[in-house]
Amino acid sequence: MRKHRLAVAGAAFIALSLTATACGTRSDNTNAGTGGATQDKTAKIGVIAPLTGDLAPLGLGIKNSVDLAVKQANQNHTIPGWTLELDAQDDQATPATGQNAATTLAGDDDVIGVVGTLNSSVAQTVQPVLNNAKIVEVSPANTGVALTKGEDAANPKRPYANYFRTCTTDDIQGPFAARYLFQDKGLKQVATINDKKTYGAGLVASFETEFKKLGGKIVSHQTINPDDTNFSPVISKVQGAHPQAIYYGGEYPQAGPLSNQAKSAGLDVPVMGGDGIYDPAYIKQAGSKSDGDLATSVGAPADTLPSAKSFVDAYAKAGYKDPYAAYGAYSYDAANAIINALKTSLASADDAKSARQATIDAVGKVDFDGATGHVSFDQYGDATSRVLTVYAVKGGQWAAVKTGEFK
Amino acid sequence: MSLPGIPVAIRRRYGPVARIVTIACGVIIAASAYLPWAYGSDALDNVTYVGGPSFIQFIALGMGLVLPALVVCSIRWPAGFGRTRVGWIRGARALATGLLIIFVVIAGAISVQLGGTININYGAWVGLAAALIGFVATRFLVQEGAPTVNRLKTPGWLSILAIAVVMLVMLFVAYYALDQSNPGTFVTFIVYTGVGVAVLLRTGALGWLTAATGAHRRVMLLAAFLVAFLFPFTQGGSDANMSIAAQVLVFAATAMGLNIVVGLAGLLDLGYIAFLGSGAFVAAMLSGTAMATFDVHPPFIVTMLLSGCVAATLGLVIGSPTLRVSGDYLAIITLAFGEIFRLSMNNLDGSDGPDLTHGSRGISDTGDLNLFGFDFGATHTIAGIEIGRFANYYFILLIWLAIVILIFSRLNNSRIGRGWVAIREDEKAAEAMGVNVFGLKLLAFASGAFLAGVAGSIKAHVDISVTPDSYVFLQSSFLLAAVVLGGMGTVLGVLIGATLLQLMPEKLRFVNEYRLMFFGLLLVVMMRFRPEGIIASERRQLEFHDEDEELAERLDDNLGPSTGAVAVEGASR
Amino acid sequence: MIVLQAMVDGLSLGALYALIAVGYTVVYGIIQLINFAHGEVFMVGAFGSMTVWLLVPGQQLGLWMLPIMLIGGMVASVAIALLMERVAYRPLRNSPRLAPLITAIGVSVFLQEFVRLFYGRIPGFPDAKANVTFPTIEGVTGTAIKLGGLDIDRPTIFTLAALIVCTVFLYLFVNKSRIGRAMQATSQDPDTARLMGINVDRIIMIAFAVGAVLAAIAGTAQGMMNTNINFKMGFIAGLKAFSAAVLGGIGNIWGALVGGLVIGVLESLATQVMPHGSAWKDVWAFVVLILILVFRPQGLLGARVVDRA
Repeated sequence: MRKHRLAVAGAAFIALSLTATACGTRSDNTNAGTGGATQDKTAKIGVIAPLTGDLAPLGLGIKNSVDLAVKQANQNHTIPGWTLELDAQDDQATPATGQNAATTLAGDDDVIGVVGTLNSSVAQTVQPVLNNAKIVEVSPANTGVALTKGEDAANPKRPYANYFRTCTTDDIQGPFAARYLFQDKGLKQVATINDKKTYGAGLVASFETEFKKLGGKIVSHQTINPDDTNFSPVISKVQGAHPQAIYYGGEYPQAGPLSNQAKSAGLDVPVMGGDGIYDPAYIKQAGSKSDGDLATSVGAPADTLPSAKSFVDAYAKAGYKDPYAAYGAYSYDAANAIINALKTSLASADDAKSARQATIDAVGKVDFDGATGHVSFDQYGDATSRVLTVYAVKGGQWAAVKTGEFK
Repeated sequence: MSLPGIPVAIRRRYGPVARIVTIACGVIIAASAYLPWAYGSDALDNVTYVGGPSFIQFIALGMGLVLPALVVCSIRWPAGFGRTRVGWIRGARALATGLLIIFVVIAGAISVQLGGTININYGAWVGLAAALIGFVATRFLVQEGAPTVNRLKTPGWLSILAIAVVMLVMLFVAYYALDQSNPGTFVTFIVYTGVGVAVLLRTGALGWLTAATGAHRRVMLLAAFLVAFLFPFTQGGSDANMSIAAQVLVFAATAMGLNIVVGLAGLLDLGYIAFLGSGAFVAAMLSGTAMATFDVHPPFIVTMLLSGCVAATLGLVIGSPTLRVSGDYLAIITLAFGEIFRLSMNNLDGSDGPDLTHGSRGISDTGDLNLFGFDFGATHTIAGIEIGRFANYYFILLIWLAIVILIFSRLNNSRIGRGWVAIREDEKAAEAMGVNVFGLKLLAFASGAFLAGVAGSIKAHVDISVTPDSYVFLQSSFLLAAVVLGGMGTVLGVLIGATLLQLMPEKLRFVNEYRLMFFGLLLVVMMRFRPEGIIASERRQLEFHDEDEELAERLDDNLGPSTGAVAVEGASR
Repeated sequence: MIVLQAMVDGLSLGALYALIAVGYTVVYGIIQLINFAHGEVFMVGAFGSMTVWLLVPGQQLGLWMLPIMLIGGMVASVAIALLMERVAYRPLRNSPRLAPLITAIGVSVFLQEFVRLFYGRIPGFPDAKANVTFPTIEGVTGTAIKLGGLDIDRPTIFTLAALIVCTVFLYLFVNKSRIGRAMQATSQDPDTARLMGINVDRIIMIAFAVGAVLAAIAGTAQGMMNTNINFKMGFIAGLKAFSAAVLGGIGNIWGALVGGLVIGVLESLATQVMPHGSAWKDVWAFVVLILILVFRPQGLLGARVVDRA
């Protein structure tokens, strides 16, 4: 008997609590919360960049610059009836993490375009995922040639139709540096060192081809492991070949100490690199003897170009914690390329997902003046602008030496 | 595990009061679900309502009600049913401890997500206070002896029903946990699950479940497989979770292979990721895409076997020093081997060696599988539900995991498996008893490597790209951690360990920065307090707690006959 | 000439490995534990001396800063080593072999991440997520000294000098001091040593501390040699130093010193002489490690303990 009573009491209690729940205010409240008159539809622009780790300063610059472009578009109601949002994902500069980030973005129906990535190696894994989902990807920083022209350099074939970039590529940057060293500086003997990553190896390869074509001599070709910190064996080897300059393919975390150690070891020749070493951190790590070291970077210097002025000012006004760094202006242009495309692709769309293909088509046709100059894409998705600048370290700062268009 | 400091006499005296307090606390906790827990709607799954519990609050409500129920049952049936003893109070104590942890986690989650303890509303404080009092009160309850529910005779239909219920619950747990984008909700839900399992364990219900399902092992395994198979259909065509699930399966299958080497044979391997990597690279080189370095494109089944064989060969190479070396020296050798693998893959790029892997760029396009006309890259519609790319791979990975588990348990229960255990326990004694030590060690390395190699060949296609960066020492230590945390030598433990280690970082993006630090800390803490892992094989447990007489006796009972059987078998040979 | 130059480079690398290797070997000699996290003690030592340099106002670069920095590094790494011994290893002293090794991996990952995440949070300190530029102390850094066609880096001179001084002190400490002899006794037979009134726990702590002091010197030296330090510098350096310890015969202090120099010179020569040396040098180092472990586990000078079951 007692057993039954317990059971009844228990059942009654549960029934009571369920009733109490049913009468709860939850359902009413949620309705009231979303009750707006005419709600804007949402489209998201993703960012895939290293937000943590060694390269975070560059990645955060990308993220903030895209954020700025998105905020401006919302403020000016560039796309009527739509609100844009930013969805930044960290790729930690590793391909596998980048791929997860891409899958996350592809799984979100609101995502319509992605700005990124920083590293060419990460782009390789991100491209196919986004292409499957028909999401347009505009990179501000990938300089790897194969990303737009395929593996076979002689027979360029665009691997992914959704991929565009606002920066120039290694096959322009390397030769540009080669011509500067050979023609402007008159150096005939150069040693090259690279970190064997997509970016570094590609840069050095295109540099060497051009330099030899001009009549110069590559006296030593060395590689380092990206996680090395002591380069003295490599430096000794290079030193024996008596180069007039060292061309380094890679990024500043290795390039800085390399330059510093080379000069300490008595190898007092300029070190030159690509946009991967064009960063204030390079000078800090390369030390006081780095004066005269050189770097090429894509586009004209951001703070001298009149079209860049408004970007630099707006960025400063927005009060971001991190500087826009090397790729800020390119990211801003990349985001604006997408936003410009959205003007046409979203105009008659019901939701973001259905407008993805139209956006890819529209990005291919954009044509406007951005922070880095004129923005438009050729049939491979590469930027049509091929302006580059050589910078040199002077008194602890990067100073522009020569800006020119590569032909 | 009785708390020291409260003598039985005092417990007897205050027992009745403690019971009433415990019941009251349970009811208060249940009631607190109807109160608002936070001031902001962004914490957990919006716990700001009066009278409208969210899902998270609902579970707290349920658990709150179970607490008094357990105490009441312990009054009504103090000796259990007939000769079957139930761990009512054991369960109640576990539940009270669990509720305390839950409310601490909830309070923590609210303060982290909304910025400060100020955002915790009175409902959560009430719950936390009740949980604390309940926790203290249950310490005063007298515990019954170990539950004997597992000896209950269960009719077949009931066992199968139980299996079905368990499987459905598991499917729901997996679905719900993966569906959470709010990290606070995710963590709370995982803690809930852990507490639920702990209560089941302490009351003896888990023992009953194990016994009941053990009698129907085939049904159980089939059901588990079926549930896992149904999982993609709960995703409504979204591929985001499936990509995580596919990664979990790759990781679990690899960890299961490592389990043979470390868990069964007791050979510490710190370079195991190299086998996964070699399988992946072989598959990528033969994938026939523009990036592939060989102009041969055999059918995937051949590639898969080839990947396994290449990995197994490497396994033999790295296993061969075991003839002379063992212990930590062997661990260091495997670590060095893992590093050699990574560096070699980086160097085989055409400038410092033959161009096999494109160096650090890796083989960035492996194409999609196409088996028997089924294109794994495309989205298929089955029963009105879209099954995306990662879901396709999920299915093939699931089949592979099932095969791996089958191989593992077959090996474990064979003479080979017992030979491994003998080597692990005492190599010299095993050798003296006629176990072919060197041969078995090599076999452990080769079979573990083969399984990892095949898993790698599938991973190559899941990931689209294969780069040396993905196969580094840290990944080896993750694999090892999955085996060690889950429980060396067990199937379920390693599956749980692998799932947790792979799922946590995906769902807890906010701790991403601190992920590795916590991982390191976890290894240290685990080795200090529970070196045998979450699910311990009993034999292992004894190894780490050799002063525990009770455990030793119980093991003696359980293992006695089977070790006897080995002896007989050995003699009759 | 190039070979000679490589020898010089190798000696300075080797001196670093030797200083670190002593830490592996003393601890191993006493409790047969491979302190896998010793590489991190070395890393913490480097960051310790960096910290002291940052704390002294005015970014001093005079040579007088060097001893202060060294002491700072030693304090930091000794503290970490002792903490590690007390919290992580001591409770596991009697558990199966696997447990301390896994703990060591955990400690190693934890320390790396801790430095990476929190060093830069201290106001005025550089972010340790990337390379941290090490101060260029006058006299021991700067342009290399030319000596008959050889370039001898200044940090090399410092490292070699440090190694020599440490060797002398270590010799006096181990053979002449009471504690040193107690250490020898404990390493020969811990149980009897305990019966003779030696506080074994204390001896073990001293072993960890001695290793940490040398590791801190090596950390500072590497900072000056490579002009920068980072949170993961301990991993590869630790592995190579461990190879050095094994090469010399683990448990044998003099073996560790010799082993370190040999490994350093071999690595440097491999870079210069072997084709594509700079890319494969670490592979050669690990191949050497494996070969020694398999074919001569007692090392060049012979270890006291050979049975490694």
